[in-house]
Amino acid sequence: MLNRKFFFFLAFLFILVLLPFVISGYWLRVLTQTFLFAAIATGSNIIIGYTGYPAFGNIAFFGVGAYVTGVLMTKYQMGFLATMPFCALSGIILAALLGIPILRLKGHYFAIATVGIMETIRELVDNMTELTGGGLGLTLPIMQGEPEFIYKYFYFAMLICLVFALLVSFIVSKIKLGYALKAIRVDEDAASVMGINTPLYKTAAWAVSAAIVGVCGGIYAYWLSYIDPHTVFVGTYSVKMFAMILLGGGTTVIGPMLGAFILELISEVVWSKFIAIHGMVLGLLIIFIILFLPKGLFETFKGGFSFKKLLSNLRENKL
Amino acid sequence: MIILQILVNGFLLGGFYTLIGVGFTLVWGVTNIINLAHGAIALLGAYITYFIFQYWHIDPFISLPVSFLSMFLFGYILQRYLMNLVVKAQIFMLLILTFGLEIFLVNFMTTFFSADFKSVTPDYAGSSLVLGDIVIPYIRLGVFMICVVVTLIMGFFLDRTWTGKAIKATSLDIEAAMMSGINPSKIYALTFAFGSGLAGLSGSLLSLTQAFSPNIAGGLTLRAFIVSILGGLGRIEGAFLGGIILGIVETMSSYVIGESYKNAIAFGLMVLMLIIKPSGLLGRKYYAEVKH
Repeated sequence: MLNRKFFFFLAFLFILVLLPFVISGYWLRVLTQTFLFAAIATGSNIIIGYTGYPAFGNIAFFGVGAYVTGVLMTKYQMGFLATMPFCALSGIILAALLGIPILRLKGHYFAIATVGIMETIRELVDNMTELTGGGLGLTLPIMQGEPEFIYKYFYFAMLICLVFALLVSFIVSKIKLGYALKAIRVDEDAASVMGINTPLYKTAAWAVSAAIVGVCGGIYAYWLSYIDPHTVFVGTYSVKMFAMILLGGGTTVIGPMLGAFILELISEVVWSKFIAIHGMVLGLLIIFIILFLPKGLFETFKGGFSFKKLLSNLRENKL
Repeated sequence: MIILQILVNGFLLGGFYTLIGVGFTLVWGVTNIINLAHGAIALLGAYITYFIFQYWHIDPFISLPVSFLSMFLFGYILQRYLMNLVVKAQIFMLLILTFGLEIFLVNFMTTFFSADFKSVTPDYAGSSLVLGDIVIPYIRLGVFMICVVVTLIMGFFLDRTWTGKAIKATSLDIEAAMMSGINPSKIYALTFAFGSGLAGLSGSLLSLTQAFSPNIAGGLTLRAFIVSILGGLGRIEGAFLGGIILGIVETMSSYVIGESYKNAIAFGLMVLMLIIKPSGLLGRKYYAEVKH
C-alpha cells in the first residue's frame, strides 16, 4: 500500500519536473506560487496538524526568513543560496526562544499569541529602517539571466523546497518525535505522565516547522526581488494555509500539499475570471470548507463521493 | 501638564476600546467563539452612520440606534444560521470560519464602498471643552459618555434580566442551562447579536472620532482582543478595566517612545499578559475554559 502511494507520488513529481518545458510562463508562475503555499502548509502542519497547536501566526517566520535573505543579500552581499541556512536558523532560534513561554498556552490563547507575535515582529521590522528599509521596503538584487531561465530557476527552487518540506515532515512522522507529538495532540497530560518531555517536543516541532517556513520566505523574497513588511507578514496567508491543511487533512504528510494544490488552483481560476470579487469568493470558499469539509476532502470522501456525506459533516458539529 | 492631557486622551480612547471589547469578550466568554470578524462588523456600523449622515444629513448621534439594531439583526442571523452549525467543532475551525467571514466582509466593503478613508464630520466637530491647560473635544467626550453608559446598561442587563441571566447560565454550564429550559442555540444567537450590535455601535462612534476604511478592520479586532485578554473573558467590568489600560498605555507609549511603536507595545502587553496570567486581570477560572 505504502509502495503504491510512493509510486504515485514519484510519478506526480516526475510530471512536475517535466512540466516547465511544455507550459507557458503564466502557468509556471502559478505553479511556483502553489509550491510555495504547499511547502508552507506542509511545514506548518508539523505544529498545527501533528501537534494540534493552532499556530495562526506561523507566517511570522515566513516574513523573518524573507528579511533574513533580503538583508544578508543587500547589506552583506551574500549569495542567494548561502542565505538559505540562515533563514532556517532564524526560524529555529525564534521558535525556540518564543516556544518556551508561548507553548504553555493552549487553544485560542496560543493561536492569538502567535498572531500578536507576528504583528509585533512586523512593527519592529517596519521601524528598523537602517537595516530593513522600514515601510519603504527592501529591493533585492535581481537575478541575472534570461526571463525564461529565471522562471524555471524559481520553479525548481520552490519544488525542491516543497520536496524537502515533505521529506522532513515524513521523517518527523516516522521517528520518536512524531509519536510524541501525536500523543501530545491526543492528550497532553497523559503524554506528560507517560514520560514525554512535552515542552521539549513541542518546541522542537515548532522549530522544525519554523525552519521550513523561514526557508520558504527566503526563496519568496528573492523571487519577488522586493519586500516590504506588508507583503511578507500577511494575515491572509495564515488563513489560506489553515484552509489548505483542513482541506487536505492535517494528520497526514501529503494532505496539506494536496489541499494547497486544490485551493490555489481554484483561487487562480477565480482570480482570472472575477478579479473584482476575488476576495469575497475566497472568504466564501473558506466558510464552505469549514461547514462541509472540516475533516478534509480525502477523509470525507474515502468511499466515494456523495452529497449525503457533506450534509452529515454539517450536522456533526451543530449545537 | 502634558502628562495630564495624555492621561485624559488615553482615558477617552479607553472608553471606545471598552465598548469594542465588551461585545467581543461577551461572545468569547459565552459561546467560546473568537469572532475575528468583530472589527469588520464594527466597520459596517461605521458605514451605516456615514451613509445616513451623507444622504439624509441626520446627526450621527441620533442614528446610533439604527446601526446598533441592524448589526444586532445581522449578528443574530449569522449565529443562528451559520455559526451554530459549527460551534462544537475544534476551536481553530471557528477561528478560520470567522476569519473567512472577515475576508468576505472586508472585500465586500472594499468593492462596494471603496477603500478610501471616510469620516463623519458634523458642524460641531471642531469645538472643545477647555479646562485650564486641558483640551477635551466635545465629540470625544460624548463618545466616551455613550461608551460608559452602554457598557453599564449591558452589565445591568446581564445581571438583572431573565435573558441576561440565561446568557450567563449558558456560559457557565450549557447542559444545566438546557435542563432549566434555556434554548442554547437561541441564547448563543442572542449573545452574538448583542456582540455584533455593540460592535456596530462602537464602529459608528469610531466614525466620529477618526477616519476609517475597510483595511482597519483587523486592527480593531486585535484591539478588542487585547481588551478581552487584559480584563478577563466574558466580564463587563474586565472589559472596562482592559479598555482603559489599553487606551492609556497606547497614548502614553505614543508620546514616550513614538507613534510607530504603538501597535508593537499593545501586542507586547497582550503577549506578556498571556504568559503571566492568561485568565486576565479580573478573569475567574470558570469563564472561558475550553468547553469542548
